[in-house]
Amino acid sequence: MLKSRIAAAIAGALLWVGGAMAQETIRIGANLPMSGPNAELGEIFSRAASIAVNHINADKMLSKKLELVIEDSQATPQGGVVAMNKLVSVAKVPYVLSAYTAVSKAIAPIGDRAKVVSINGGAVGPDLAELGDYFWNVIPLVNFEAEVLIPFVVKEKGLKNIVLIFVDDPLGEAVQKVLRAEVPKAGGTPAGELQVQRSTQQFASIAAKVRELKPDAVYIASFGTQENQIIKQLRDNGITQQLMSYSAMSTPSIATLPEAKGGWYTVQSADFTASALGQRVAKEYKELSGKDANAYVANYYNAVMVFGILAQQLEKAGKPITGANLLEQRRASPTFELVGGKMTFQANGTVAAPVQIREVDGTGAGKLVK
Amino acid sequence: MVFLQLFLNGLQLGAIYALTAVGFSLIFGSTKIFHVAHGSAFAISGYIYWWLASQLDVAWPVATLAAVLAAAAFGLLMERFIYRPIQRHEASFFTVFIAAFGVSLVIQNLIGSVAGRGMETVTTPLSRSVEIMDGLFVAPISAISIGVAILVFTALSYFLGRTHVGIAMRALSENPDLVRVFGLDPGRVAQWAFVIGSAVVVPGAIFTAMTAGLNPAIGTHVMLVSLAATIVGGIGSVRGAACGGMLLGLAENLAYWKLDPQWSEAVTFVVLFAFIIFRPSGFFGTPTAAR
Repeated sequence: MLKSRIAAAIAGALLWVGGAMAQETIRIGANLPMSGPNAELGEIFSRAASIAVNHINADKMLSKKLELVIEDSQATPQGGVVAMNKLVSVAKVPYVLSAYTAVSKAIAPIGDRAKVVSINGGAVGPDLAELGDYFWNVIPLVNFEAEVLIPFVVKEKGLKNIVLIFVDDPLGEAVQKVLRAEVPKAGGTPAGELQVQRSTQQFASIAAKVRELKPDAVYIASFGTQENQIIKQLRDNGITQQLMSYSAMSTPSIATLPEAKGGWYTVQSADFTASALGQRVAKEYKELSGKDANAYVANYYNAVMVFGILAQQLEKAGKPITGANLLEQRRASPTFELVGGKMTFQANGTVAAPVQIREVDGTGAGKLVK
Repeated sequence: MVFLQLFLNGLQLGAIYALTAVGFSLIFGSTKIFHVAHGSAFAISGYIYWWLASQLDVAWPVATLAAVLAAAAFGLLMERFIYRPIQRHEASFFTVFIAAFGVSLVIQNLIGSVAGRGMETVTTPLSRSVEIMDGLFVAPISAISIGVAILVFTALSYFLGRTHVGIAMRALSENPDLVRVFGLDPGRVAQWAFVIGSAVVVPGAIFTAMTAGLNPAIGTHVMLVSLAATIVGGIGSVRGAACGGMLLGLAENLAYWKLDPQWSEAVTFVVLFAFIIFRPSGFFGTPTAAR
């Protein structure tokens, strides 16, 4: 009897403490790859988000302290769903940062059902624009990137025969679809498509297949460690043709990979020097990570800042910070002044931003090509 | 020519797989411990080599020696502080598995925290292929990895067949009580198994750092390969693990000859399933009947 009374007292105390803590903070979630072969990007995303959280708290934008709850998706749909369920049902957050096309597509229905906003700053599959009202993107999707790169490669550089190496995943398949449309439209020829599994780590024989196809350029649509492995092993195994990719080629480990030098990639324009805010973020990110900030840093910083601004507006209007109210508020005021300049959400929750072509040159940011 | 290219790629990859798998098989064969943290020895030694050779420009023999010592020390510490205390309490296979799995997660995160979570490679001209015939590209590292694999297996065969410790390790797998009768300490023999089994993973780790690159999570892939090669080769057979690793490397690459690339890893598992169904004892394992 005594034991059960003590247990009840402890449980009550814990509930009270938990409740008190919950009231002291406003929580948002992050469903990011924090372990496994894609953890390099998860680290970049979470650091950028943490800087934004610190800024919101330091500038006292909200009535309570903002807290970021990070769950590990491992960049897999299964991991993402488990993490999303925890964030929605246990942490009860109204807003979740997301990444990776496959993960984003898996978690979107959960967010939609629970009226929790998911916001993506790293995945680029074009169908992420069609995941419902509660799925937002602060990154231009890959169709915008390919529309810029492919005409440049085919028309301006005369590299007409293009081989695609793509991962067996919604992202890879999305890029395949986009390139099938964009390459012929620009006057080029799809010289071949080589699909690889997500777990594949050896590409010497893929290089042999690429040599057989005799392309002028090779487009790589993978991510994380695998993107690096493909680049390195193609170069090691006699592929001298132009390599190119989407924004996944902008990661720090590819930027310093000797074999990646000369590779072209598209990425949204994120000029950190253009505003005081951009400079502040770039400086703090450099202090935190020792690396230069890239577009992903801008995206995840912006994703959290979008929440901060919307939540501030809701508090001023005396409304609770819920996913539904955040959506309503974004529709009412869709333009934000953020890192990289003014950003306006379209009705489908996506943003348009200028896309650049850059070349890997051994430095963090790469060389501007166009 | 494409077939020959794929065959040569398969030999190189098979040599690396064999070097990776043989240590796991040696440990499992001798001690019956399912050392799921074997992939961590691979990751630790690979990263030590990368750090010394690539970041500090230390000469490769010194970096290799340091990697061997690190892998051996890891194996020894695992036996002494993880497996032995668990076995003292006669814990189940599952307890051992979870403990080792937990250690491998800790190691993965430690490496990620210290060395970063991106891919790291050891840049060397040895990994750059040259065209030796029309359409046939071979990198010096291919010949080196095959040569080193032959050297390691020859040395290991000699060690297991001709030295007291090696014979004791084989005896330990058969009958630990008999080892005791001959005045040997089974615990000490098990330590040798962990030290040597972990050390032989080093060449595979170094070649991987030079060709495919390292990442903190690489141990998981290494364990899958080791386990598959051990089953194909015959559980507990060092010779079998070597042949199993080679077969898997060849199968993975030769699959590209007629199949689309996404099938290459599936072919590996088809080989594995074929062995499980038609020859569950593997190449060199001893068939056992259920009692």
